[in-house]
Amino acid sequence: MLTLKKLLVAFDGSPYSMKAFEFALELSNLSPEPSHEICVLSVVQVPEPADLVEMDAIIDAATEHYEEMFKELRQKGVAANVPVTTEVAVGHPADQIVHYAAEKGCDMVILGHRGKSRMEKWLIGSVSKRVTTYAPCTVTIVR
Amino acid sequence: MYEVWGIAALWLGLALVATLFSIWFRIATALSEIVVGTVAQLIIGALIGTTIGSDQPWIKFIAGTGAIVLTFLAGAEIDPVVFRARWKEAIAIGFVSFLGPFLGCTAIGYYLLHWTVKASWLSGVAMSTTSVAVVYAVMLELGLNRTDFGKAVLAACFITDLGTVVALGLIFAPFSMKTLIFAVTGIALFFILPYLTPWFFKRYGGRPSELEAKYLLFILFGLGSLATWADSEAVLPAYVVGMVLAGTVGKDHLLIRRLRTLCFGLLTPFYFIRAGSYVSIPALLAAPIPLLAMFVGKMATKIIGVYPTTKAFKYAQKEGVYTTLLMSTGLTFGSISALFGLNHKIIDQTQYSILIAAVIASAVVPTLIANAFFIPKYLLPKQAPEPVE
Repeated sequence: MLTLKKLLVAFDGSPYSMKAFEFALELSNLSPEPSHEICVLSVVQVPEPADLVEMDAIIDAATEHYEEMFKELRQKGVAANVPVTTEVAVGHPADQIVHYAAEKGCDMVILGHRGKSRMEKWLIGSVSKRVTTYAPCTVTIVR
Repeated sequence: MYEVWGIAALWLGLALVATLFSIWFRIATALSEIVVGTVAQLIIGALIGTTIGSDQPWIKFIAGTGAIVLTFLAGAEIDPVVFRARWKEAIAIGFVSFLGPFLGCTAIGYYLLHWTVKASWLSGVAMSTTSVAVVYAVMLELGLNRTDFGKAVLAACFITDLGTVVALGLIFAPFSMKTLIFAVTGIALFFILPYLTPWFFKRYGGRPSELEAKYLLFILFGLGSLATWADSEAVLPAYVVGMVLAGTVGKDHLLIRRLRTLCFGLLTPFYFIRAGSYVSIPALLAAPIPLLAMFVGKMATKIIGVYPTTKAFKYAQKEGVYTTLLMSTGLTFGSISALFGLNHKIIDQTQYSILIAAVIASAVVPTLIANAFFIPKYLLPKQAPEPVE
C-alpha cells in the first residue's frame, strides 16, 4: 500500500502551484496515516552566466517574496491541522525538486501544471517532465 | 540640453530592452546589455552613420561610476571569516587560477597573434579573471557552500579576481612617485576604513539623508581619482575597499540593497551598453582564429593550473573536478580590463572586440556545455527504484 507520510509541493507562487498545495492538503486529510507532513519547496533560478552581485540580489529578493507567500501556506496548514515546512533552494527547479525529494525521503512530489510555449520549453525545458523522469518517488501533476 | 535627455532616453530604452531579454532568456543582465549595446551601435551606425554617444563625457562618468560601485559590491561579497579560516588554500588555488591564464593568454597574444607586448599583457589580464558567481551558483546547487571545500574555493575566486585588478592597476602604471603616493595612501586607508566606517555609520547613519551611500561614494571617487592620477585603474581600490569593508558594511543588508538599486537601476546599464557599443561585429567575423585561440587558451591554462593545485591540497577527484568551474570568466572584470585597454589605447578596436567576445564565450560556453551534457547524477537516487508489481 502506498504510504503518504511526507508530501513535497513544488511552489513557485503561481495559481497552479497554489492548486498543487491545496491538493496536497486534501490528500493529507484523506490519508489514513496518523502523522503526515507537507514540505513546500520554492526554487530560485539564477540567470546564466551568473553575475555575483546580480545573483545575490535575485536570491535576496526571491527569498523575501517566497517567505511572505509561505505565511499564507502555513496558515492554511494550521487550519487543516497539517504541519507545513518551507524551504527556498537555488538552482534549476527540476534538479532541486528531485534532490530535495531524495534527501528528505518524500513519498510524493506534487507539481502544478503550467502550459508553456514551445519556445519556453526549448529554452528552459519542462520542469514536470524532468521531475517525473528522475524523481525517486511518485509524482503527481495537478491540472 | 534636449540632446542630453534624448541620449539618456535612448540608453535607458536600450537598458530596458536588455532587461526584458535577460528576463525572457534567463541570462545575466550584464551579458544582455553588452549584446544590446553592440547591436544598437551596429544598427544606428549603419542607418545614420553616428555613434550612440559612448564617448560623451557624462556617459563616461556614469559608466565609470557603475564599474566602480559594481566592483565595490563584488569585493564586499567575500566572507572574511571563511577567508581567515582557509587562507592558505584560497591563496594557492586563487593565485594559480589567476597566473595560469594570465601568463598563458599573454603568451598566446604575443607569440601566436603577434600583438604588441602591452596588448598581450592586457589580454592576459582580461582572460585571467574568474566568475565567482558561476562557482557560487554551483556551490549553492550542490550544497557545497556550507562545506570547507566550497568555502575555500569561493575564497579562492576572490583571490583570482584580486590578482586581475591588481595586475590591471599596476602592470601598466609607470611606477613613478605618483604610484608610490597612491600605494601608500591606499594601504593606509585599507587599514583605517574597517575601524572608521562602522564608527561613523553608527554615530551618524540610519537617516533618510543616505549618509552611508554618500560616504562610500566619497571614498570610492577619492581613491578612484588618486588611482587614475597615478595612471592606475579606479576599480583596483574599489575592489579592495569592498573586501576590507565586507565584514562591516557588507553585512548591512539594507545598505547593500540600496546600493544595488542605484547600481542596476542607473549605473551598470551605462557601463555594459558602452562596453558593448565598442565591439565591432565585422572585425570579429574577419578574425575568428584569434578569438578561438584566446578562448581555448584560457580554458586550457585554467585546467592545467587549477586541477593539480587542488590535488596538492588532497582534494578528492570529484571535488577537484568541480574546481574546473573556475575556468569561467567573470563578465565584470573581463570587460573592465578590455575597456581599460581600449580607453588607454593599449589595444585597438579589433583586439578589444576579440577580448570581449572571448570573455563572453568563456563565460557562456562552459555553462551551455554543463547544461547540455552534464547529467545531474548527484541528484539521482543511489539505488534504482524497484519495479512496481
